Amino acid sequence: MTQHVEEEDVATTADEDAGSAQDPPERPAPTPRLAGAVLAGFTALAVGVSVLGGDFLNPAASTADGDYSGETVEMMIPLAEGGGTDTWARFVGAELTEAVPGSPGLAPVNDDGGEGILGTNHFMTSAKTDGTEVLVSTASTVVPYLLDMPSVRYDFNKLRPILANGTGAVVYARTGAGVRGVEDLVNRDKPLIFGGIAATSLDLTTMLAFDLLSADIDATFGFEGRGPVNLALQRGEVDIDYQTTSSYEPAVEPLVKDGTAVPLFSLGQVDEDGEIVRDPNFPDLPTVVEVYEKLHGEQPDAEALETYRAILALTYTYQKALWVPEETPDEAVELLRSTADEMGADPAFQKSAAEVLGGYPLDASPDLAERIGEAYRVDESVREDVLELLETDYDITID
Amino acid sequence: MTEAAFSALASLADPSLLIMLAVGVVAGLVIGLIPGLGGTGAVAILLPITFGMDPEPALAMLIGALAVVHTSDTVAAVLLGAPGSASASVTMLDGYSMARQGQAKRALSLAFLSSMAGGLIGAVGLTLAIPLARPLVLSFGSPELFMLTILGVSLAAVLSRGNVVKGLTAGLLGLLLGLVGTSPTTAEERFSFGSLFLSDGISLVAVALGVFGLAEIASRVGQRRVTEKPVELSGGWGSGIREWITHWTHVIRGALIGIWAGVLPGVGATAGTWLAYGQAVATAKDKRKFGKGDPRGIVGPESANNSVEAGDLIPTFLFGIPGGVPSAMLLGMLLTYGIQPGPAIVTDHLDLMYLIVWAFAIASVAGAFLCFLATGSLAKLTKVPFAVLGPGLLVVMLLGAFQEGGQLGDLWVMVALGVAGFFLKATGMPRAPFLIGFVLAIPMERYYYLTASLYDGASWVARPGVLAFAALLVAPVLWSLVKRLRRASGSVDDGHRDEHASADEDADELEGSLARTPWSLGVAVAAVLLFAGALWVSGSFSDEAQLMPRLVALGGLAAAGVLTWQEIRARRRGAARGGDRAVDAPAGSSGATMLATRVEPRLDARALARRHDLMVGARTFAAMAVFLVLVMVGGYLAATLVFTPLFLLYAARTRPRTAIIYTLVLGAVLLALPSLLPVDLPMGLLQ
Repeated sequence: MTQHVEEEDVATTADEDAGSAQDPPERPAPTPRLAGAVLAGFTALAVGVSVLGGDFLNPAASTADGDYSGETVEMMIPLAEGGGTDTWARFVGAELTEAVPGSPGLAPVNDDGGEGILGTNHFMTSAKTDGTEVLVSTASTVVPYLLDMPSVRYDFNKLRPILANGTGAVVYARTGAGVRGVEDLVNRDKPLIFGGIAATSLDLTTMLAFDLLSADIDATFGFEGRGPVNLALQRGEVDIDYQTTSSYEPAVEPLVKDGTAVPLFSLGQVDEDGEIVRDPNFPDLPTVVEVYEKLHGEQPDAEALETYRAILALTYTYQKALWVPEETPDEAVELLRSTADEMGADPAFQKSAAEVLGGYPLDASPDLAERIGEAYRVDESVREDVLELLETDYDITID
Repeated sequence: MTEAAFSALASLADPSLLIMLAVGVVAGLVIGLIPGLGGTGAVAILLPITFGMDPEPALAMLIGALAVVHTSDTVAAVLLGAPGSASASVTMLDGYSMARQGQAKRALSLAFLSSMAGGLIGAVGLTLAIPLARPLVLSFGSPELFMLTILGVSLAAVLSRGNVVKGLTAGLLGLLLGLVGTSPTTAEERFSFGSLFLSDGISLVAVALGVFGLAEIASRVGQRRVTEKPVELSGGWGSGIREWITHWTHVIRGALIGIWAGVLPGVGATAGTWLAYGQAVATAKDKRKFGKGDPRGIVGPESANNSVEAGDLIPTFLFGIPGGVPSAMLLGMLLTYGIQPGPAIVTDHLDLMYLIVWAFAIASVAGAFLCFLATGSLAKLTKVPFAVLGPGLLVVMLLGAFQEGGQLGDLWVMVALGVAGFFLKATGMPRAPFLIGFVLAIPMERYYYLTASLYDGASWVARPGVLAFAALLVAPVLWSLVKRLRRASGSVDDGHRDEHASADEDADELEGSLARTPWSLGVAVAAVLLFAGALWVSGSFSDEAQLMPRLVALGGLAAAGVLTWQEIRARRRGAARGGDRAVDAPAGSSGATMLATRVEPRLDARALARRHDLMVGARTFAAMAVFLVLVMVGGYLAATLVFTPLFLLYAARTRPRTAIIYTLVLGAVLLALPSLLPVDLPMGLLQ
């Protein structure tokens, strides 16, 4: 086709400066009959493609028979390609689909609208309920859910978990700002400057920890990510920061070694009994609760502690999870969950997944749904506490 | 260190690694050709393949693709005027003008050779910069990064073709558009009018392809035949290489700027290419040809644009801060192999670092060489009339824009921006500063806010880096003022320059054709209204969130106000002159009558051509809207099958046979694409 056009052009390329106003005679419009016939043909084809094609190319899935062969599992990742959650989801998704009987294909879909909210909303309304569509959740979708933001149209209580994986975090500070240990968090002449992304992001848990400790902190939000905050701390622009477990070793440990920074405490983990315990990856660092006791000589206020515990469980202990719609057949959910459970216990997987899982086990035990359900059923009092903190300390109202 | 370097090179001699590298290069080149997919698309398609591979071949493949994506994305920018990324828009300035003068082959070979050199120098720079990277990155705090964003937008505004007021207005409009969405400092929504879709901000690909690509289709689709005379280049490849070698200093300077800018996280990649262009213009003695097909305007930025990719790998690996989605995915891949980014990577995984360097260098050379071999056939694309290319291009560009967010709304935004781009182009407003402003708006606000809240008062202004950037910003302005003052004392140089400019501008029929008409006054007034509206709306934001929109709106009001005043003054002058003629003519004053009779018919022909352009543009945008409605109803494939033959038969007047084959081929491509590339087709209501 290109060939034909070229020949013609070489022949008719005339020296015209006046532009298209005086075109040489051109081919007349096609006869209505001919054009009509061509268009009718394509319209018929188009209708055929759009109406029939869909069913023809995507036959109904059969996943309740304990075998996923021939299926493709679509994984909705509501965040951009390349972030921590994306990496986690693609890795876990690929390993899981390989282990599921019948080894289905995996199609990760990144829909990063509204910081994860749009994609999750979309999943809630349109996901297939046959066990071939899986949702990835992470702190960016959980925190808006927790705060009951108006744009959130999803409800984790109406989804069923397949597996969960937690992470932890460590708060550290710049020694140049005069911080030697946790004692320097309170009674300061000049508050420590904390660098954050947004109070309504994962930073929320750290803010709650500072609030619980009554630490002298002045928070500046607006950073692009935790990596840039770490650099700003090294430049001396901010004084205190936190990093999650996976980035602690490369980003903070060298600073601790050369004496520019000092680790203060870990945010802790919520254990199976609902207690805040030391992070298994940082057994030597105290938790927020221990720091409180050390600083104030007593147990923290029960209600404030409960708020912190609930948010910690939600944003760290069960931070990342895979979900399917509520109506998914039990057999399919059970098959996926038990496969994940076995996979998580497999030493070979544990070894290859060590970095991606960040040192925390892949949780898919039979009582996962119960525990995660409890964590995600946030008490109204907890929500109100958080909203109040945001409004009074950070001037943020959510309507 | 040298030992590790050579052992890495030796390991690349392993055929399986070389094959992986070649796969990456080919995939990167093919994906780069499609405007809008870019590096993200390349890494996304290759990433799943790498699961289960050893780290070395996986890295070789991904680096191979990343190193060449910016080599082949030049093709669409130069040949079609459709840059898929902010950095390709720089190459477009001179490259596209050159192609429109029938020298597509020359533009492409210059670009490819420069890409190759840029990649090579980038690889060397990557090696040398590793020990220097930490102090360099740490010495760039928020104030310096803020100044860098200012510098990027200002350079684009000042250096683009057209007058500075127009450039500034366009840059500020871009900044304003970039502010739509969630504020980086307070997480509140601005200018989103309650829409969750807008709260995300507008997609970069939609802006780049709308303002440039769609506007180009609309302005050129009226031409059913090719009017450019292809200029035959004698001597083939040899002469291309010889010409390129004469610009070697620009190549090296561009590449060095690229590495340096790429190292700075956040703003480097976009600002870097403009800095390269800026220095090329600033150091040139004869600046008249810039923006109209000057080879130096292609060579510098194109070399920078590839070395930026190498520079970008430094913060990615050393600090775990990726400069873009592609490097973020690369980072994710390393993580799955248990390789943690961080300063320790240089000691723990030195062999891998060198493998990356070598893979980058080899891929740049191989990719640019393949492209260079293909320039001849690629350049033939300019011989196909735009009316015929139009529907295919439209379908591909809209599909490319859809991939970023998967939202149909992006496509409507893109068409709307296409209309805006059409008028900007027609009234002679430069569009490059618009795009750069859009890209740098959020970083500018972020770093300004951080600077203001982390530093006491104005102490940051005295930082040496800030002063250096401020000097870079002010020096050219002062210099041109000094020159103008000198010239004012009686020199004819200025008039000479104007003559040249107007002679060259005729190369593009639409560019500036509506300047000095009610339309351009309308655009200026519309800009004033937009800024005023933005100022009014921003009153409802919180103090922190309204700072930047207010500054932009006030600056914009000033710039657009000056522009409106210029337009009105020009119209008055024109009207006064016309009045003189009317008075003079009856009086029979010979000279004036002669002038009047000579001028009037020409004006008429221009007015006719103008009306024709506007009609064609309006019809094309209407056709695009119809296409989107069809997509919403029946899905992408069905809409394409109906729209393409309709457009080809009635708008392009092709033979029915051509229309049928064209549509079938396009349909088959669309059907096959989702299984070959990580591409989703928009779904319609009926599906």
